[in-house]
Amino acid sequence: MPSHTSNPSGLGYVWVSSDRSVCPPAIFLTPQPAEGEIKDQVEPIIRTTNLKKSYRLGKVDVPALRGVDLVVQEGEFVAVVGPSGCGKSTLLHVLGGLTGPTDGQVCVDGNDFRLMSDADRTRFRRHKIGFVFQRFNLLSTLSARDNIAIAQHIQGNGFNPHRFEVVTRLLGIEEKLNHRPYALSGGEQQRVAIARAVICEPKILLADEPTGNLDTENSQVVLDMMRELNRTFRQTILMITHNPDAAGVADRIIRMRDGRIISD
Amino acid sequence: MINKMIISNILHRPIRTAVSVLAVAIEVGMVILVVGLCHGMVNDSAHRVEGVGADILVRPQGSSFLIGMSEGPMSIKLADRLRELPRVLAVAPALVHVNAVQSLDLIYGIDLASFDAVSGGFVYHDGGPFQGPYDILVDDIYARANHAKVGKTINLLNHDFRIAGIVEHGKGARRFIPLATLQDLIGAQGQVSTFFVKCTDPAYTEKTADAIKTLLPHYNIILIKEYMVLMSSNNLPGLNYFITVMIGLAVGIGFLVIFLSMYTTITERTREIGILKSLGASKAYIISVILREATLLTAVGIIAGFIGSVIMRKALIGLYPTLPVELTWDWRLYAASLALIGSLVGAFYPALRAARLDPVDALAYE
Repeated sequence: MPSHTSNPSGLGYVWVSSDRSVCPPAIFLTPQPAEGEIKDQVEPIIRTTNLKKSYRLGKVDVPALRGVDLVVQEGEFVAVVGPSGCGKSTLLHVLGGLTGPTDGQVCVDGNDFRLMSDADRTRFRRHKIGFVFQRFNLLSTLSARDNIAIAQHIQGNGFNPHRFEVVTRLLGIEEKLNHRPYALSGGEQQRVAIARAVICEPKILLADEPTGNLDTENSQVVLDMMRELNRTFRQTILMITHNPDAAGVADRIIRMRDGRIISD
Repeated sequence: MINKMIISNILHRPIRTAVSVLAVAIEVGMVILVVGLCHGMVNDSAHRVEGVGADILVRPQGSSFLIGMSEGPMSIKLADRLRELPRVLAVAPALVHVNAVQSLDLIYGIDLASFDAVSGGFVYHDGGPFQGPYDILVDDIYARANHAKVGKTINLLNHDFRIAGIVEHGKGARRFIPLATLQDLIGAQGQVSTFFVKCTDPAYTEKTADAIKTLLPHYNIILIKEYMVLMSSNNLPGLNYFITVMIGLAVGIGFLVIFLSMYTTITERTREIGILKSLGASKAYIISVILREATLLTAVGIIAGFIGSVIMRKALIGLYPTLPVELTWDWRLYAASLALIGSLVGAFYPALRAARLDPVDALAYE
């Protein structure tokens, strides 16, 4: 039987057993691998097995995910495509810990979501996940600088000027840091949102239609930036998109329909 | 960072901020002014009785310690019996009439000679003592408030009184008429409501009071120092309830406005809360943001309430010079604490609601 123990980073539970039929060992979270752990085999950073998620609408359960089996390795850039309502965003929300699975197994960076409370998933999200949304979702009352810095503040590690400088330079927004979101173009807003998502060095960047609200030119800029992040920091990226051109930037394309993966 | 976000939010919604601050300011100002007014009137009244200079008050049987609550059930002849007691220097009988025409105040009917003997005499700012039965003395505060001048007439109890003198305030009432005149006008011939007794030495007060109690066993004998203690809002029938009700109303207003303000702001900012949650903000973090925002609004409201109460006091005294308003620091602190607690309680449910928002629903909120 696998056992779980408190994660030293405070992120809920981390599996230290080598029984990987249940959940892979937490080789990404635990600073020191547990004794007897297989160290030379790279484990996926995301593994879902028969993942199901239903939403309750009135008295009816509406299935959004109907058994998703997905494996993503660290450093991969994966695009998830599919028609509206096929469960792409729900998959992203579950992987990011914004909502729990109804059934099935979700292991992200060694954390089994079945064993995690809401608060555990919040802590996990704070330290391990970066989100980028179609609508940018910047805080309108804060400047670009503060929109990025607030992620560091929530994480609790304080402001890291070096990381801040590297990220903002990479995303080309150094000149726009004092602007409020309304004074930025869509592309600039999305770059600020990406900076906010990666400023705390998350293990996984989850992007939900990041180019959905952008014109072609800005879309390309944002995609180039994400590609650059993936190359420069070996950032694992899972990107949802309708746009075939955007999907083409990824290393791997997963197609979904009716809550299932139909091709990988 | 969290403070910066809170200040940005507050500045971003100036109308909501202004209304919230105003509500807290009214709450704080109302508490300070209502209490200040009640305490001011009670203390002013007490100090004016003390200012007569007597050591002992003799009041009718079964009467309240409040002067003016019983008009004239004691015979004036008792004055001579009191004067005969050892260690009694002077006795001033007074008939007290509560005037409720145009303003609520006490009119003292006094025998000027005996009143002067107890009080050491009036200090006249203008004019002089009574010259006839329908003469009146008014104090300087009354004169200022009513533009009264010596020689002018005042209608009182359906009779015209000539202002004979304007005296320094602080000796019992603000208006004084001859004792016999007031007895005639209210049908209390030969009767008085209070005897002001002055001892030959204040050290003899207790002994003299004991002697009076022996002489008049069922009368209400009150030492002036006891009277000063009794004259507090705690001992005045109904006043404490009135103050409590007014404070309750004020706190209720503050609570409801902050509750509504924060509840509205949570609804407006559902998406922002979703964003914070997507960044990993815990429930405690969200609650902290909302409560800190409410605290800041309340703090600004408290300062505005302090300033407002000082301005209102000046305005009230300017309009009604006879109205004493005492603003005390202990009540300011009490009002501030009440406002803060009310606001935090008012903001807590909205904060909890925000913390419990589902992040997916919050992010999808339009």
